[in-house]
Amino acid sequence: MWEIGLQLRFAASLPDNPTDAELATECKRGNLRAYERLYDLHSARMKSVAFHMLGSHADAEDAVQETFLKVYKAVSAFEGQSSLATWIYRILINCCYDVLRRQQRRAEASPIRDHPSHSDLPLKIALRGALSALNERQRLVFLLFEVEGLKHSEIAGILEVPEGTSRSWLFEAKRELKRMLTESAV
Amino acid sequence: MKFECGDLERAFEHAQLMPEAREHLKHCAACRKEYRLWNEISSTARELHEEWDTPALWPAIRDVLGKLPNPQGRRPWWAAQRTWMLTAAAVVLASTVGVFSVAPWQQHPPQEGQEPAAVRPLASSGNRDLLTEQALAEVERTESAYRQSIDKLSHLAQSELLKPRSTAGVNCKEKLKLLDDAIAETRANLEQNRYNMRLQTALADLYREKKQALQELLTSDQKN
Repeated sequence: MWEIGLQLRFAASLPDNPTDAELATECKRGNLRAYERLYDLHSARMKSVAFHMLGSHADAEDAVQETFLKVYKAVSAFEGQSSLATWIYRILINCCYDVLRRQQRRAEASPIRDHPSHSDLPLKIALRGALSALNERQRLVFLLFEVEGLKHSEIAGILEVPEGTSRSWLFEAKRELKRMLTESAV
Repeated sequence: MKFECGDLERAFEHAQLMPEAREHLKHCAACRKEYRLWNEISSTARELHEEWDTPALWPAIRDVLGKLPNPQGRRPWWAAQRTWMLTAAAVVLASTVGVFSVAPWQQHPPQEGQEPAAVRPLASSGNRDLLTEQALAEVERTESAYRQSIDKLSHLAQSELLKPRSTAGVNCKEKLKLLDDAIAETRANLEQNRYNMRLQTALADLYREKKQALQELLTSDQKN
């Protein structure tokens, strides 16, 4: 009888613990509660990853917002070949690279701009500095595995590389960090 | 194989060498230091996880997403689902009304100026059930959403309606005025008789006509 002429966003309820597929389906339908659930599940880690890539809280928040925008626009093409989380992190990392390109600053130049707190331990400060000197792929794998606690299988999905490559890059990253930390201590 | 200091890195990469490495560590202080640093890098890395409060971030994201068209580029699922629900509601109402219309033992011949029995308020029948109540509530909710969407169209057409620049605009303004009056009258009647299917349909037709008139006005405005 009634026909809704204008497109209005909506927020329908979700199951208590929606599966990945259910969340993806609801996201495709434009259900804002599904996006809110994704935000609740992943935003803390997403912000941290973006912070380490971009070097500031404000840029990290912008990257997370941009990520959700891209997820919303592209979700109809998501086929579920990877997990939703893997796909979102992949978009986040690409967003971060976009920001870095836009601002014409390489991650190696000065990735951490917000000042560390005074309570930081010396090794933590040194590690932060050493991390910024790693190449992109090493730093990213180290961040995702050691800092954010993702599994190699997840990182492999995000970076679209074999799992063995993720392990190998992590080893290279740690070896390089150890070398830098040992040299700086001498 | 005899494990030597140079093998320690290989042990970091290949976990199967770790038992031999641990044996070596018992006797080699330099390698123990290397090993400790290797582990400290991992444990310290966890402290690099950065957390901070961003209470405004989700509301900002939600607002942005809320303004975007549906991800699938078509009507939101609820609109489609609602169409089904409303169809069901209409069927329920119509069938209930139909039951009354073919149940002459409950009917009295309509008096002059009285509503026909087929559209007599179901509320007074005493046979109204919860489903019908829910169906009607759904119809009313959707009518409200529909009205809001038309209000938005009206808002877009406001400048043209205030000062029509063409004869078509003047005609449209008059038509909309008549439609608004008719809508107001029908709504007033519906308030007295919420279960009247005929009035609900008439109101829907009026809204549809108003929407069409507004869309025509906006389209002609864009062409001009």
